[in-house]
Amino acid sequence: MRIVIPPSWRTRIYRYRITATKCKKCGRTAYPPSNICRYCGSREIEFVDLLNENARLITWTIIYNVMEGFEERRPVILGILETLDSKARVMAPLTDVLPDELKPGMVMEPVLRRIMEEGEHGLIHYGVSYRPLIKSSQ
Amino acid sequence: MLPEEKTGIVGWGSYIPRWRLNLKEIVELWGFNPEQPKELRVSEKSVAGIDEDAVTMGWEAARNALARAGVNPKEIGAVWFGTESKPYAVKPSATIIAEALGITPNAMATDWEFACRAASEAIRVSIGAVASGLIKYSLVIGSDTAQANPGDVLEFTASSAATALIIGSREESAAYFEASASYVTDTPDFWRRDHSRYPLHGEAFTGEPAYFKHIIGAVKALLAKTGLKPSDFDYAIFHQPNGTFPIRVAEILGFPREKVTPGLVTPFIGNSYNSSALIGLSKVLDQAKPGQRILLAPFGSGAGSDAFSIVVTDKVVEKKDKAPKVEDYLNRKHLINYALYAKYRRLINRID
Repeated sequence: MRIVIPPSWRTRIYRYRITATKCKKCGRTAYPPSNICRYCGSREIEFVDLLNENARLITWTIIYNVMEGFEERRPVILGILETLDSKARVMAPLTDVLPDELKPGMVMEPVLRRIMEEGEHGLIHYGVSYRPLIKSSQ
Repeated sequence: MLPEEKTGIVGWGSYIPRWRLNLKEIVELWGFNPEQPKELRVSEKSVAGIDEDAVTMGWEAARNALARAGVNPKEIGAVWFGTESKPYAVKPSATIIAEALGITPNAMATDWEFACRAASEAIRVSIGAVASGLIKYSLVIGSDTAQANPGDVLEFTASSAATALIIGSREESAAYFEASASYVTDTPDFWRRDHSRYPLHGEAFTGEPAYFKHIIGAVKALLAKTGLKPSDFDYAIFHQPNGTFPIRVAEILGFPREKVTPGLVTPFIGNSYNSSALIGLSKVLDQAKPGQRILLAPFGSGAGSDAFSIVVTDKVVEKKDKAPKVEDYLNRKHLINYALYAKYRRLINRID
């Protein structure tokens, strides 16, 4: 799968840190970021990183017929999650999890992973995936 | 005052992938002596998943170190990434991590190579850079998805994990450096040529003239420099290519086994190369008490070793619960079979 350099480079910060936009008028947070609030149309927005927020899994899909370049990752699991504080909806790959371990409402955390790569010689595209929250012993 | 004494470990963190391969799978596939894993004192090894590499693992270890350090990423003046499994042969891994953690753009960022010891030398250089005031903090990462030729004895232990340290001033540190020493020579015990996929090694030659000679050389230089004795240390952490070498080198140097075992991680996950000794330090810091003294002696083929004397401070108590511990990652495991391991580590050739 071909990775086009300029858009890959331009979006790297959004992919690495889940940069979203928060509307100063209606207070809602949107991902991917947008210069216009997708909920109220306001142009008064600020950029926020969602990397320090865990998220609740809302739903997911398991993809068996994958695009070219994703054969080794089959099945690809894509989830829709809601971040715990800012309630932003994020669609992202789910990782370190087996399909039968997924449960609606489970808390997941963002991690940097390889999202795709251009064969053996081309660019590697990194970005955030979500995985089940690691249990910390205190 | 030595430059070391002005500096210390402000934050530390590790990462181990979830996937594990029981070494019995390797014994069965390649027809090895079933006693081999027992002789190496390793039962399972950690395997990076299909979407993981040295960069992604190093990122998570660094994130844990930053959480414990509690410092503004913009104050980190150097990101030094020690690995022998760079995702790109040319294009720095350090800049990807620096960008993803919000450290860019006013920082140094470089990948270091010295087999398993690259990150260890970066620690010594960090001490100099911080003590001199050139930078306020450095982020040193040791991360590897170690390669092994399928069917080579190295395959039993070559594993994946990462550890990161934030080096800063002694006042802010969970543990400060007391002294350090290095010992390097040109020794051909293990190497990988430019376009080789897997490293080669000198079998028994990796022991006496390489691992033992260099670690003993560095530790003796440290003890001579400081006047310390093995009995002054509460923990001794050596490079851990298997579960036996660190115990043997400790015996030779006069450290009892019980000072080595708290930092032994290789029996559970294999040898994670640049993270091998450092994950031992990370595990010890997770449990150490203020005032305790730690000996750290990583080793890298080619060959060299560094020895550090590190003293734990009161700050360790408030920092240790701020990120997942090595034990948490050891407990998070799921066994996979050799076929899945082969796919994850890209040992299967496909046509794209």
